[in-house]
Amino acid sequence: MHVVALYWRVIVGGGAVDLELTAIAVAVSVVVGVLAAIGRVYGGKLLGGFIAVYVEIIRGLPPILQLFIIYFGLSQFQINLPSFSAGLLWLILYGTGYAVEIFRAGIEAVSVGQREAADALGLTRAQALRRVILPQAWMVMLPSLMTFLVLQVKNTTLLYLVGIADIMYQARLGTSATEQPAIMYGMAAIAYLIINLTLSRIGSTLERRQALYR
Amino acid sequence: MSSDVVVDIQGLTKRFGARTVFEDISLQVRRSEVVAVIGPSGAGKSTFIRCINYLHPFDAGRIRVLGHELVGGGAPPSKATLRQVRMQVGMAFQTFNLFPHLTALGNVMLGPMETKRVPARDARDKAMALLSSVGLADRAEAYPRRLSGGEQQRVAICRALAMDPEVMLFDEPTSMLDPEMVGEVLATIRGLASQGMTLILVTHEMQFAKEVADTVVVMADGRVVEQGPARDVLEHPTSERSRTFLTRVLKPLEAPGVSGEASPPGGSGRGATTALGGDVR
Repeated sequence: MHVVALYWRVIVGGGAVDLELTAIAVAVSVVVGVLAAIGRVYGGKLLGGFIAVYVEIIRGLPPILQLFIIYFGLSQFQINLPSFSAGLLWLILYGTGYAVEIFRAGIEAVSVGQREAADALGLTRAQALRRVILPQAWMVMLPSLMTFLVLQVKNTTLLYLVGIADIMYQARLGTSATEQPAIMYGMAAIAYLIINLTLSRIGSTLERRQALYR
Repeated sequence: MSSDVVVDIQGLTKRFGARTVFEDISLQVRRSEVVAVIGPSGAGKSTFIRCINYLHPFDAGRIRVLGHELVGGGAPPSKATLRQVRMQVGMAFQTFNLFPHLTALGNVMLGPMETKRVPARDARDKAMALLSSVGLADRAEAYPRRLSGGEQQRVAICRALAMDPEVMLFDEPTSMLDPEMVGEVLATIRGLASQGMTLILVTHEMQFAKEVADTVVVMADGRVVEQGPARDVLEHPTSERSRTFLTRVLKPLEAPGVSGEASPPGGSGRGATTALGGDVR
């Protein structure tokens, strides 16, 4: 068992890298995703269509392929992104594609009557979005957003392929050093579970709080 | 045209694709006038009233609301014109459409705070005064889902009134309500009429129309089939189409003892507490 004592700090270090990447990527993709979803719903044919195509590309290509195009593909054009930047960029691009769809569904779930009530009061579209539509969309979207957050944490496991020292990377490294894959991957599994169960718990607390006025 | 015309509608025509919803409707509404729009289902009454604040664009004709003109067909009105019209025209919907994430008070405060930058304290005072006037002061902190249909509609009316509109539109305000709640909402509307608010309402409550309306417009088959002083139209309709409609809807109500008194089933709700008392504007 001294393998655990030897490696748990390393795994935790990997977890910190995963959390950092996820936090930055999710924050950026949520902000860009809200704006893009507004563009998708209200932006007319050109902007809306462009965003729709982007979403289809992100959802249609395998994640590893997207990551490799950014990290290896671009290097052929002398665009050599460092591992961390390439990994983060992919997480953001991928996450934005999903966030757009989550926000779009949330905005469209708000009833026409709510829009009409806001219009009838004389609210501008921006005022209606901020005060009436997005707060209600938020309630609808919360479960999907939490699923999205957990998905992004799991997606960071792919990043070991471009050399980012996350949990997965450390567990593999530990395995080749100790030849104890059960223990190393077991530790990785526990680390991911701790992160994601914590996130789920936060999510359901938020949902309960929102449910008060539903 | 006399200057106290608040809403002037000329030649209004609305189509959905190839289907004509209504055609060539003209109507002038003077200050403090109460206009009831009645007629069979599917006549386009709701669509008509929703054109007045441009919730529905229309295909021909024009609507002038206190100097601001909306023109049908062609380019939509400017955002500024649209806002000017909507800020002066309040609306209550059939389905209330309260904002579910805000309390009753929050619903009533939102319009003035957003559109007129009224400070929260002032908006709150006014919202409380409005809610009190419809007997809902004790429900101010409740979220819509905790309110009955009748309470929701009264809050929705307060939300519109908080904008100090010059005209109020009511789109079948009681048709989604349980019978015992119709009275409290009608009492609120009656209170507005007695304070001199200009009202245009689409309603199926014929006795109420007879009681509060100055003018009745009968719509059927995409046209105005009759329009004139309420009593004349309701008691002595001249057009064949409105006569058949009125015979059908008035018959059950013309039992002995139920005359012009507007007592809907279930009585007049909370009576005095629902009347809009005092000047809350």
